[in-house]
Formats: sequence, C-alpha cells, structure tokens
Amino acid sequence: MSLHIRRIIAGAIATASLLAFSVPALVHASSATKAHSVSAHAAKRHHRHHSRIPQHNGGDHDADNNGGPSDGDGNI
Amino acid sequence: MATATFSRLVPLTAVAAALVIAGCGGAAAPKPAHPAALTPGPFAWVRPAEVPANWKVGQLPSRKAELAYPPQWRAITTDPGTFSAALLGANGAIRGYLNATPQSGAETLANWAKFRPAHNGEEGDRSVVREASATGLPFRSATGSCVMDHYTTTSARYREIACIVRGARATTVVVAAAQPGDWARLRPQLERSITSFAS
Repeated sequence: MSLHIRRIIAGAIATASLLAFSVPALVHASSATKAHSVSAHAAKRHHRHHSRIPQHNGGDHDADNNGGPSDGDGNI
Repeated sequence: MATATFSRLVPLTAVAAALVIAGCGGAAAPKPAHPAALTPGPFAWVRPAEVPANWKVGQLPSRKAELAYPPQWRAITTDPGTFSAALLGANGAIRGYLNATPQSGAETLANWAKFRPAHNGEEGDRSVVREASATGLPFRSATGSCVMDHYTTTSARYREIACIVRGARATTVVVAAAQPGDWARLRPQLERSITSFAS
C-alpha cells in the first residue's frame, strides 16, 4: 500500500513539473509567433501604399532627393 | 502508515497544482510590447516651451503652424506647402535640418513609430534604425507622437527626431535632424525647436 501511494506521489509531482515548465513555454511561443506575423503583415501592407522616391535630384528635386535629411512628407 | 502517507499526498498535490497555476499565470500576464512607446522615457524633455527671443520663426503657407529656428540657420528651398530651415556646412551640405509639413499621407499619431522609419526607407534612405518612440507627448496647445531614428542617405548619415503633432488648427509633422558628428552640439537647438513648435 505504502509503495503504491509513493508511486502516486511521484507520478503527480512529475506530471505537475512537466506542466509547470511546458505550458508557459507553449503560451510564450504562441504569443511571439502571433506578434511576429502581425508585424510582418503590417509592414507588407504599408509598403503597398507608397512608392520609392528617386535620389540624385529625382522626385520633386528638394533636399531629401539629393542626399539631405528626409522631410516630413508622408506621401512623396 | 497508509493514512499518514495519504495525508502527505494532499498538500504535495496542492503545491504541485499551485506550481502549474503560477507557471500559466506568469506566461499569460500582459507585458508591453514596446515599453518606450508607452512612456515618455527618452522624450521626457518634450514639454511646451516659448520661442527663444533671438530666434526666427518660419510659418507654413497655410499659416497653421510655426517652426522656430536659431539665428545662424536659414530657410531653404522645400516642398510646396512646407517650411524648412538648415544649418549649412562649408560645402553646402546640410548639417542641421528642421522641417514642418502638413499631414499628407497615412501617418497618424498611433502609427507614427512604425510609419516614419518605414517611410524613410521608402524614400531611399538605407540602414534605417529606430531608436525610441513615444506617444501622448505634450506640445503647445497640442499633443503628439515622436520617434528618434538614424539612417544613411546617398551622401550622408543623419539622426533625427520626427514628431507628428495634432493641434487645434492642423496635424503637422515636424522633423529635426543632424549629422552624427554635429548631434551633441545641435541637439539642444533641435529639441528647443520641437518643444516651441506650434500647430
């Protein structure tokens, strides 16, 4: 009887330990995958809305088409 | 003996169950994805400020925003409807840069942290790296979102603070940039131009 109960205790602890370490890892992996896919999707969608501005005095010939800093224009 | 052993089984099982619950709870606890985007942090300096007495003030053609710039700087050619000022180097290169542009695309206060660096890349800049961002920042009669990033153009490297500011009159983008070698020296002027910006 005593041996049987010891086996039950050992089994319960082993199962609990397995769950304690594996469940958080699974939840974390799921969250990370979801965040990555949302971010990648957003980036792809964003790129479809804009066109690249040519450098070397292209575009509207202002400073940011000639190697200067980017202006605040969100369109061109 | 069996009863005594069984009585130990109950607390042990309870401890094991508690371990499982604690493990699940720890993983499920919400964590901010981008802490810098939720609190001012690197943008704690963004507080409404007056225009310094000896500075010049440039105005958008629409008269819906004013951008102040230091006396050594000068207004430069810029896109229609916008205002830009720069500190030029001996060879005409832009060492310091300020720009105000009306909201013109899909940029918003909510998407600014991603939009601005992505847009810089689309305009041909390379090695665009976002350093920090924040939302809900206070401006003069306005609120805004800011991002700090750096990038390389066809002729120089720049670091910038770019903000989108929603005021009573309009939503406007204000950009302050400098080459890395000038950043430490020009940063106070760039920050003051941003904090005194009015829209």
